[in-house]
Amino acid sequence: MIEVDAVHKRFVSGRGSKAKTVEAVRGVSFRATDARITALLGPNGAGKTTTLRMAAALIVPDSGRILVDGIDVAMQPQQALARMGVLSDARGLYPRLTARENIVYHARLHGMAEAAAHARAEQLARMLEFSDLLERRTDGFSQGERMKTALARALVHDPPNIVLDEPTNGLDVQAIRGLRHALRRLRDEQGKCIVFCSHIMQEVQRLCDHVVVVSHGRAVAEGSVDELCRRSGHADFEETFVSLAFGARAEA
Amino acid sequence: MNGSWTVFVKELRDALRDRRTLMAVVLSSVLMGPLVLFALSALVASSEQRAESREVLVAGLEHAPSLRNFLERNTLVPKPAPADYEQQMVKRQLGEAVLVVPPAFEAELARGDRPVLELVNSSANPRAGVGVQRLRRALQAFAQEQALLRLAYRGVAPALLEPVKVEERDLADPRARSAQLTGMVPFFVLMAVLYGALNAALDTTAGERERGSLEPLLMTPASRLSLVVGKWGAVAAVGMLIAVLSCLSFLPAQSLLRSETLAALFRFGPREAALFLALLLPLAAALSALMMAIAIRCKTFKEAQASNTVVILGVSLLPLLSLFNDGGEQPWHVWVPALAQITLMGRVLRGEAFTAPDLLVPLAVAALLAAACLVFVARQLRAAATR
Repeated sequence: MIEVDAVHKRFVSGRGSKAKTVEAVRGVSFRATDARITALLGPNGAGKTTTLRMAAALIVPDSGRILVDGIDVAMQPQQALARMGVLSDARGLYPRLTARENIVYHARLHGMAEAAAHARAEQLARMLEFSDLLERRTDGFSQGERMKTALARALVHDPPNIVLDEPTNGLDVQAIRGLRHALRRLRDEQGKCIVFCSHIMQEVQRLCDHVVVVSHGRAVAEGSVDELCRRSGHADFEETFVSLAFGARAEA
Repeated sequence: MNGSWTVFVKELRDALRDRRTLMAVVLSSVLMGPLVLFALSALVASSEQRAESREVLVAGLEHAPSLRNFLERNTLVPKPAPADYEQQMVKRQLGEAVLVVPPAFEAELARGDRPVLELVNSSANPRAGVGVQRLRRALQAFAQEQALLRLAYRGVAPALLEPVKVEERDLADPRARSAQLTGMVPFFVLMAVLYGALNAALDTTAGERERGSLEPLLMTPASRLSLVVGKWGAVAAVGMLIAVLSCLSFLPAQSLLRSETLAALFRFGPREAALFLALLLPLAAALSALMMAIAIRCKTFKEAQASNTVVILGVSLLPLLSLFNDGGEQPWHVWVPALAQITLMGRVLRGEAFTAPDLLVPLAVAALLAAACLVFVARQLRAAATR
């Protein structure tokens, strides 16, 4: 379970009189429970990626706190990271290493034994359907193949919490369907807590149980797709999203 | 530190798989010893050959039988100069000076009219230097002989003309003399180490950042310092490998020495190689850390390459410091990384005395520099991943 409690983050660029302040996150709160896929839905620049980076201990929040299975990320980042698998915006692979070596490298850094790491890499490759790519160098991989390898790398230590930042970027229909299938299995069979970050409504509508709409650094609405539609009085989820996300701008 | 070992193994494997870069670096470091020594021996051999040859080029030799007689008596072999000697000299095809004799030489000499002998040379052509010296000495001796003959004819004692006798004595021992030539060897070795480690240093820092693999790496529970130590270990290992290869390449290369003088002077045995490595290995480790510290602040590989030019330029300018410095070796030289190693490697080549403190000071400086850079990189890591 991941609990985000009123986190704020402001970035200052430049110095002196030329300094510019950007309020990236202005009090986002939500709770992603186990055995549920929680969506963080918002337009570009809404503060989704910054929130996820704070959850992954890459950025320290100015205020507020984030708990992963009850562990405060700011206080014990290493323990929190051990319980999280993050597929972030940056998902670079090492082109001179094979897919297996890329995955096993991270497994070893998570403290797994050599044999267990290899077994887990093979298991994940079967689940994400890229076993035939395992021994190839990632140099010539397609977008989808890269994403699968990066996802396997993020899940290698079998974390109870999974955070995915725009995982469908650059994927074709086949790959997206495969990913959706895999995520549902992780939720239903293993009861994982999954946070799915996206700006694509259709994706969220198809996959997610719970939606948190983020706009201009704030969580503006929360609930299931149906609940949100009902509350906003729109039959269409797209209309609902636009009114929630961009209606918020008028208020702000 | 389990994480460090994992990172070290991965980075080393990654660096060793970068075949093209690695081959270029390894090949140039292995070939460096033979190439440098070959060039040196060719240079020395050709100047030795010229010093030994007794030929002098004279234009208009037929106008001066007395001069010809003198030269031949002094075991020199006068040869007619080629007609277009001036052009050849300017184009650097002719490596000798030419003596030009005027047509009326013999008659003027007999009359006591001081005939003019022209010594043609191009100072832009350093090879001609040896020949000029020899010709000038010969002509002075000829003039002196003529003067002595005339004085003797008038009954004056020859000793009056030479009130002071000059004798030359050279104090430089053969090793010190050879060090003038072999002085560039430490510099070449140092540059090889620098270029060898450069690529790995950039790839593990700025490259990782550019690729977008740094952020996922930081999302593992491994501590930042252990990640940095592992990366540094791999970079330093590549630098050290190059150091070992380039030092050892001088050992078999010595058999290529064509000049016997140089072969006798350039003594680079296992002892010298070991001392070179004792100096170079810590430096390779320190410079690796320094290059990583500079690269971690750069967003791309290219940017990091440009920033690290400062380090490479600095190291390549250091030999000039000792060259232009009239005071010779200064005590503070051993406190500056790279300069200390160049200075001390020079001492090894000159066969000068060497004490443990001489090794310990640069070692301590290198350790300090490496530690400071590693802590800096570890601190910068998180900011680098998210910016």
